[in-house]
Amino acid sequence: MFRQTLCGLLLVAASGAQAADTVKIALTGPFSGGSAPMGTSARDGSKLAIAEINAAGGIQVGSKKMKIEVIERDDEAKNERGALIAQELAAMSDLSGVIGTVNTGVCLAGDKHLQEKGITKIICPAAGSASMTQWSKAGVKDNSIFRFAAYDGIQAAMVVEEAINRKFTKVAVVFDSTNYGVSGRDDMLEQIKKQGNKLEVVAQEKFNIGDKDMTAQLLRAKSAGAQAILIWAIGPELAAVSNGEAKIGMKAPLIGGWTLSMSNYIDNAGKNGNGTLMPQTFIEEAITPKAKSFIDGYHKAYKVDRIPSAVAAAQGYDALYILAAAVKQAGSTDTKKIKEALEDLKEPVKGVIATWSHPYTKWDPADVTTHEAFRREQVVMGMVKDGRVVFGNDADRARLIKSATTVTPAKTSKTKKK
Amino acid sequence: MNAQIIGQMAVSGALMGLVYALIAYGFQLTFATSKSINFGQGELVMISAFFSLTLTNLGFPYWAMVPGGLLFGALMGLVVERAGVRLALEQKSEGWILLSIIIGLFFFSAAENIWGRDDRPFPTPISADPIHILGVDVTRLELSVAVGVFAIMGLIELFKRRTLLGKAFEAVSADRDAAELMGISSTRTVMLSYGLSGSVAALAGILVSPITTVGPTMASALILKAFSVAVVAGLDSGFGVVLVGMFLGALESLASFYLGSGWREAPGLILLILALALRPNGVFGKATIRKV
Amino acid sequence: MKRILLLRGAELVVFAFLATIPLLVVNPYALGLLTLLAIYGILLIGLDVTVGYLGQVNLAHVAFLGLGAYAAGLVVTKLGLGMVPALLAATLVGLVLGGLLALPALRLEGPQFALATLSFAALSTTALNELEALTGGAQGLSLSRPPILGHALTPPLFYWLCMVLLAVVWMLMRNLLASQWGRAFEALRDSPIATDAMGVGTYKHKVAAFALGSSLGGLAGGLYAFNFQYLQPQSFTYDLMIILLLGVVLGGRKSLWGAFVGATVIVLLPNLLSNRLLFQIFSGLGFAGALAAGVQGLVKKTTRPFQALAPVVAMGLLVVGGLFVENTEDWRKAIFALMLFSVVVGLPEGIMGFLALFLAKLFRVPHAPLPEPADLDTLLPVRPADGSALLVLDDLKRYFGGVKAVDGLTMTVRAGTIHGLIGPNGSGKSTVVNVISGLYTPTAGTMQLRGVPLPIGSLYSVAQAGVARTFQNLQLFGELTALENVLVALKGVYRNPLPMVLLGLARREERAAQAQALALLELIGLREQALVKAKDLTYGAQRFLEIARALARKPDLLILDEPAAGLAHPDVLQQIEFIQRIHQRGITIILIEHHMDVVSELCDTVTVLDGGRIIAEGTPDEVKRHPKVVEAYLGQPPQPELPGGAEPLPA
Repeated sequence: MFRQTLCGLLLVAASGAQAADTVKIALTGPFSGGSAPMGTSARDGSKLAIAEINAAGGIQVGSKKMKIEVIERDDEAKNERGALIAQELAAMSDLSGVIGTVNTGVCLAGDKHLQEKGITKIICPAAGSASMTQWSKAGVKDNSIFRFAAYDGIQAAMVVEEAINRKFTKVAVVFDSTNYGVSGRDDMLEQIKKQGNKLEVVAQEKFNIGDKDMTAQLLRAKSAGAQAILIWAIGPELAAVSNGEAKIGMKAPLIGGWTLSMSNYIDNAGKNGNGTLMPQTFIEEAITPKAKSFIDGYHKAYKVDRIPSAVAAAQGYDALYILAAAVKQAGSTDTKKIKEALEDLKEPVKGVIATWSHPYTKWDPADVTTHEAFRREQVVMGMVKDGRVVFGNDADRARLIKSATTVTPAKTSKTKKK
Repeated sequence: MNAQIIGQMAVSGALMGLVYALIAYGFQLTFATSKSINFGQGELVMISAFFSLTLTNLGFPYWAMVPGGLLFGALMGLVVERAGVRLALEQKSEGWILLSIIIGLFFFSAAENIWGRDDRPFPTPISADPIHILGVDVTRLELSVAVGVFAIMGLIELFKRRTLLGKAFEAVSADRDAAELMGISSTRTVMLSYGLSGSVAALAGILVSPITTVGPTMASALILKAFSVAVVAGLDSGFGVVLVGMFLGALESLASFYLGSGWREAPGLILLILALALRPNGVFGKATIRKV
Repeated sequence: MKRILLLRGAELVVFAFLATIPLLVVNPYALGLLTLLAIYGILLIGLDVTVGYLGQVNLAHVAFLGLGAYAAGLVVTKLGLGMVPALLAATLVGLVLGGLLALPALRLEGPQFALATLSFAALSTTALNELEALTGGAQGLSLSRPPILGHALTPPLFYWLCMVLLAVVWMLMRNLLASQWGRAFEALRDSPIATDAMGVGTYKHKVAAFALGSSLGGLAGGLYAFNFQYLQPQSFTYDLMIILLLGVVLGGRKSLWGAFVGATVIVLLPNLLSNRLLFQIFSGLGFAGALAAGVQGLVKKTTRPFQALAPVVAMGLLVVGGLFVENTEDWRKAIFALMLFSVVVGLPEGIMGFLALFLAKLFRVPHAPLPEPADLDTLLPVRPADGSALLVLDDLKRYFGGVKAVDGLTMTVRAGTIHGLIGPNGSGKSTVVNVISGLYTPTAGTMQLRGVPLPIGSLYSVAQAGVARTFQNLQLFGELTALENVLVALKGVYRNPLPMVLLGLARREERAAQAQALALLELIGLREQALVKAKDLTYGAQRFLEIARALARKPDLLILDEPAAGLAHPDVLQQIEFIQRIHQRGITIILIEHHMDVVSELCDTVTVLDGGRIIAEGTPDEVKRHPKVVEAYLGQPPQPELPGGAEPLPA
């Protein structure tokens, strides 16, 4: 009796409610706790896309239209939960794909279960380099894990480039003690070396999640003569850095990862945030009709007047459309066929960030970019100005408007090697 | 330069330490009457801050928002007492530890869903611009924390000494059974202490939010520090928490400056274990003679 | 015997069932959950040693999980060794660091202990995070599962490994906790003072308990590392610790089954709650259960209204909320909290505590029969009362600040006598006892037992020297049975080394000890109540039990601190009879007493104290007529028989 019940429970837990004729897509990420603004924004972006697709009758799969069924899992930014969720998803026989994950550690702990079973996953919006390089390091021949985020390599290169362009010579590298922060530091230091050691790192400062008093770190940077702060961190602690600068009368601008565009930084730093620079894939500004409809749709659907993390939301939205396109092209809900289709998408996908043409190619362990959708040209430098993120330079703005309306040139895996 | 840096670090650390002290004081209030503390006190700080933010957004002026927030904090403190602590105390079990944690977890989840998961700024009429005092930069906001902390602690101590209700409070703290025999309801006094403790938590939230922002996780780091301060100072010394709080805050700042920010907490933690090993009842706590 | 068979049978069935699951269900997710269940089972059994048996809120356990995990991970990645050395290293790290942490934490109780352990946990996270060269810091440590004895560990094999280890830990801990060691842990929780005074070193046992629990944490950490194959310092923080504590208490403290059930709840529930259908099933069942239990409790008046209603309200909130809330995943933590709330309020003894009562009612299994009492003459051979000086106090002083509680006491207690120590309240009697027994250090003066200086300031050493005492304010081990109370103190029976105990090879010794303890209980008329918990005995019986427990030390000198305090008259008469029986065996007794009739009835010599000094000494009759004694007791000098009599002495 007990045995039957337990088996029953485990089976129900493993398979979920059965519903035929739907495309099952799992959305995962931290929906509670400190990383939740990113996790929920990405999820809600994806759900917005799903609502649009379902309202139009669903995805054309072979001969019939199938609606998308969502499975949501909150990984709480905990590796352990992430690993269990991945095991759970890997055990589902009829899952078409997974989109999600913010924390690099969760990718490292969980994605191997999905990869072993060949389940297609698009990592979005986690950007820590290790989440993809683990596959090239392991020399995996066939990889079902894709990423849809401006990976740290691109971002760090842009940050360092920007600092050099602005004629800074002495910088402080500041980062939080998470995996994201520490790997961001490594990327930036590597880029500084790569771009000819034009920047002298006069201080390396770390802080913990939840720290709100950055006086010590900033005073050390200041007394070492830092002209700019290259920063890599998640969340509202970034605002504490800007506010701390104001307090001790320090004027070094912040240049860092895309998280500097999140509303919890911009709002909490207030006027102290002006001039902060960060690479952006999406800016909450209705520059194209597509962007306008997305922003308005999000505000309306989730009853907010600003997106907690516009970048994550836009990436979640576009990632879902790309996955949907792969389902359509594969003509099947089989995750392995979807993976094949994803590696060779024939039709461009019109997204809110850009129009995606052939975003992924066949996996090559020697080249992580085969499974990376973002290229340097899709990322622009954003700048905080009076509580909004605006384009750091107008040329980028014009270029983006163009790329959103025209098709970006198809890329080949050979030429994109870095 | 060096002396100035040390001064700067010590002052800004000590001012943060006052917030630890205030939350620690909330622990002391309930410990005095019931020998229990609310392990979900951080969540009380957080939801009271969110509630005060809502009041501000509804257009209440600062002077009306503060009492509103304090009242809400007191109410939530009473909820914790009624739902989590009273039964356990009646049964003389340690269940209050878990129940107060569980209620805190519920508050956390509720706040995430009601107010959102994002950190938000907390508007305040007090300026955040720095002023220079003796070569040290201090913001008016930070000074307001000090004023608020001393004001509420002073008021509560005055209340305990000067009013009849306050004396009942002291009587129950000193000897619960004897107070019961004198006709003082210890249940009501415990309720009172949880209410006061809730208000103190709310004030801590209101004072610290403009500096640290409001969000569901805002108090999780604060609360562990406050707990340390309360125990190291001694769970019966209101004077002690202020000193220990400021000392710990300053120590953390200086450690983070001299040892590197990653090791910020280490000296405090080591000192803490040593202090406890040497003075188990806290540095300012009363030593008890073991009687059998 | 039937009881043992039933218990072992239940263990066998459950373990056999868990072991066959991978053969029945080929679902990697289910297997993943079960593997974690086994790991958490080990972890929580370890935590239960400190939380349940020692009764302390231990917040460092999660640190041992983390340190063990890293130790195993580093042994594999840096040293290139296999799984067995890795797991050994993990266990060892827990054992050693646990022992080290126990040293400063030893003196602490309650919130202070919690904080010391919390600080240790925070320190170890900081260290793991900052020692980047070794641990990889925040970027984590990736490792692979090395083969064991040449076999690659597939998920089912690894699961079986975890299960085997859980079974081994289970067996060892069962033997240990049922032995003298387990009883000592529990005695420590109920009264550390009495534990010391019974010659059971609190120091040794506290360190042992903590190190043992922590080593299990380390072992679980090693398995954790090989299960997830990726480690990050921030996995092992306060959040997880709270969940672990909840697990132990939910499952039921002081119970291997409780730890296992707790592990099941904290591993399965949060993961299963993600499934909406399962959530609705759980909340519906929970509501029905809470309602049934609540109504029953209210009708029978066995529970308080709050205890009956709160779970119903909480579960009702879940059922109703479940209908309105669109996205239950967003509310998962609140749902978890409400469910835990209902269980903690409704079942204060935990799930296993409740089930154990329920099952006991269902099966009515009698306790294993006790052995026949041992022969009292071999246990407490009659000693000759030669009247030689046994205890000599010379100018003993103990001051508290300015208060001279004992001020120059010189007294000789002769072997084989009952020596009364009387005096009005505050005269210093209890302080004398506390100084002799080692609770207080004397301010000045010497004490000799049979001409050898008595150890000072250590209850434990004094107890080892052959002095046993009772306590005026009872210091029984409330959660232990009367029999176990005596067993804890029993001297000279337990000789088997720890490994034998762990392997369950010390049964014969245990039977012998039980026989001796029963003989002592019979001496004071408690044989029939041997299996009743001390806290459930009548007040009189508790007083008697204190004496039996002290006798278990087979002492040269027995100090009875107001043994008749608060007793009803019939009990006092019985008490007198018991003390005479003990006296007949030639044991020297110091009797502190208020009741003059008890003193007159029993004592050979009486010393009267007032204001910390001796005011009279002699036979009971002499003392009773002594003018100073009358004055001290009645508060005024006796009527002068002659005009111009003695000056009243200062009080």
